[in-house]
Amino acid sequence: MSLNVRPILSALSRNRTGAILVALEIAIALAVMVNAAWIVAQRIQQIEAPSGIDARDTFAIGVAPLTSHSDLAAALREDLAYLRSLPGVISVSATSSVPLSRYGQGTSVSKDPGDQAPMTNTRSMEVDAATLDTLGVHIVAGRNFSAMDIRPATKIYYQEYPEVLITQALAHRLFPHGNALGKPIYGGDNTPMTVIGITSNFIPSVPDPNLRGYDVLMFPQVPGHFGVYFCLVRTVPGRTEALLQIAQRHLAVSNPDRIFVLAQTLGFYRQRLDAADRGVVIFLTLVTALILCVTCLGIFGLTAFNVSTRTKQIGTMRAVGARKRDVVAHFLTENAIVLASGVIIGCTLALGVGHWLSDQYQLPRLDLHFLAIGIVGLAVIGQLAAWQPARRAASVSPSVATQTI
Amino acid sequence: MLGYYIRLALKSFARTPGLTALMVAAVGFGIAACIVTLTVYHTMSGNPIWWKDGVLYAVTMDSWDPKSPYDSSHPELPPDQLTYQDAIYLFASDIPSAKTIYTLVGGALSGAPGQTIPLPVNTEATTTDFFRMFDVPFEYGGPWQSEADHGPEPVIVLSRAENDRLFGGADSVGRTILWNNLSFRIVGVLDDWYPRPKFYNLTGGGSGNFGIPEAPFVPFRWSTVLHLGPGGTIDCWGRGPGSSYEQLLGSTCVWISMWVQLPSRAQRERFLDFMNAYWAQQRRQGRFQRPLDNQLWTVSQWLRIHDVVSGDSRLLLELAFAFLAVCLINTAGVLLAKFLRGAPISGVRRALGASRRQILEQHLVEVALLALAGSGLGLLLGALGLRGVQAMYANGYSDYGAAAHFDSHGVFLALALATATAVAAGLYPAWRIGRVSPSEYLKSQ
Repeated sequence: MSLNVRPILSALSRNRTGAILVALEIAIALAVMVNAAWIVAQRIQQIEAPSGIDARDTFAIGVAPLTSHSDLAAALREDLAYLRSLPGVISVSATSSVPLSRYGQGTSVSKDPGDQAPMTNTRSMEVDAATLDTLGVHIVAGRNFSAMDIRPATKIYYQEYPEVLITQALAHRLFPHGNALGKPIYGGDNTPMTVIGITSNFIPSVPDPNLRGYDVLMFPQVPGHFGVYFCLVRTVPGRTEALLQIAQRHLAVSNPDRIFVLAQTLGFYRQRLDAADRGVVIFLTLVTALILCVTCLGIFGLTAFNVSTRTKQIGTMRAVGARKRDVVAHFLTENAIVLASGVIIGCTLALGVGHWLSDQYQLPRLDLHFLAIGIVGLAVIGQLAAWQPARRAASVSPSVATQTI
Repeated sequence: MLGYYIRLALKSFARTPGLTALMVAAVGFGIAACIVTLTVYHTMSGNPIWWKDGVLYAVTMDSWDPKSPYDSSHPELPPDQLTYQDAIYLFASDIPSAKTIYTLVGGALSGAPGQTIPLPVNTEATTTDFFRMFDVPFEYGGPWQSEADHGPEPVIVLSRAENDRLFGGADSVGRTILWNNLSFRIVGVLDDWYPRPKFYNLTGGGSGNFGIPEAPFVPFRWSTVLHLGPGGTIDCWGRGPGSSYEQLLGSTCVWISMWVQLPSRAQRERFLDFMNAYWAQQRRQGRFQRPLDNQLWTVSQWLRIHDVVSGDSRLLLELAFAFLAVCLINTAGVLLAKFLRGAPISGVRRALGASRRQILEQHLVEVALLALAGSGLGLLLGALGLRGVQAMYANGYSDYGAAAHFDSHGVFLALALATATAVAAGLYPAWRIGRVSPSEYLKSQ
């Protein structure tokens, strides 16, 4: 018996409202699923973006003076000497900021001097000769600071540094076409700073998790004149937490003239940075899964309802010669029509929502592969949801056709 | 009749327990998602001191670089803090009924009984009016007298948490504590105070826009007397902070916030005139080379220009509403099917004399009970959800986690909204079943 679509359509029109409601559910579910998956993909990309630093094996200790008479420079020398003496410590350095955390500085630079030059915002950092080694960052061009380049501790807030290091990302931003090595760059006061080395990219301090970048400007300066310094310590893998505890215990009592402002592994800061993205991923995945469940239940319910109110019609079909297979095909086709209408509306909705989301939240445009996979997936799951009620319909006996109750 | 309808509804639920449970669960989850996201959104977009909106004003002057604006993505906005010389000059005015300047400085508390190591604290250096302007509640004592703002007296106000930690929660007013190794007398201890967002400091510095307010509090002059550099956010242009503390005070750097209380329009205009006169005079001496932009911001305006609502919060709110829509459409569909299946029973009732309206009422009661059950479940799940969000972001500096606070306003707003929509979803099925003519269903199928 060939599949005739007209009886199916007329059967559908008997319970129009139910079918429309399910089609609407399917449309919204498709729009949400596809866009949610797209956003999740973006966030996972951001979570997996490399920090350029060996964050798991590095910890940071932040120190501030207790009184205005504290000798921070001496304290720093003592602390560095102690940390270097610990077994299991690979490299120690002193900086003015902690990468991946909120503690740090920023500034703006340009490649031309003068009042009209457009300024580029960048993070900045005071480093010593060992900082690159401690972070696991390497030199891509030029050279690192040598121990002699590093300016000694000072109380002066602001100095000029004729030689600086920059990351590859900043080099590319300032000099998109050419080599930044050896070129001068200018701060707000128009004194030139020569780029003597370009380093591999790493994430510096991050004041706002939504504005992450790899632009860093590094000054050769012993930190402390902002009222705080940070010791970054790289350890052998697996010993980081333990050495952090040991160091904290010793440093807390070795010098009463100073206080700790922080003592954490960089891994902890990386986790914190990603917390928002992870939360969004979890919420989106959970809600998308629930929407899918609810939609499937809706499809299941609609089909089951149709079957139970049409037992006489099914019996009649079977009595005039339809096979069990044909009954199942009848209901699956009916479901397919509802699915198809839902999917068509859903596609338009998905594209519209995707367009709007990318405007509102500065996302890249929806990748159509996600839409295609969403359509196929929803179609398959939708038919599966209607499978069981359709099979039950097939077991309706033909004798029902002639019953009067 | 209501009792009878309720009994009928319960019987109807008992007839299809699985389906009923499913509907309640679907509505419950949809409502829970909305409660969590709407609460966070409501907290983020709320004004924690809305009753002061016609009275308190943030003071800003655009002292920034003539070459470029303070915020390149919002070039019309001035810096949100003042330079030292501008803050001191404006603070001297007696036009406002109350005025305060404040900034964060680093420090440590020590010398409390039994304390072995100093407690690092980000300290708010401010003036006495701060507390009454921002309605800061006290558990013990109160703000210092205004003499302490000008005189040498070292006074300090502790937060409740600090007092609990250092003095076991006892009344420590009158006792002394060491702040930066100097002896300070405690004049007050705050009660619990956690405005969300931290409207008086939206620079993102310190504990962040939704973080716990920094404490302790000391008179502002101690920051300059002790040569304490700014511990919060500081922004500079041009030659930057200079090479000494004196140069910092005279530099282009902005690090001090200022608020004034100007209850009448006349006062506001007089204060603006005062600011403009100062601006003109300074401009003649070479400062303030950007266009005139002296502004007084109400709390609402201040919150709006700082845009503290996170993009994620909006996104998740929209998703939650889409989810609720799907749940309610689903419920409407299932209810429609269920009511139509029960049409023969309604047919019998009609034949026995029930009016259409009574059938409608009976089914509306069923819808209402379902909506209530769903709301109850949703409230429970929503509360759990908020706890979950708090736990997930416990160490994060995402504003989202700090705003996931069980704020009863936000929760009941969400609950009322969701319950109303759940009832609306059931309206069509109830109306439909009321329209059915009884004779159709009294015949055999």
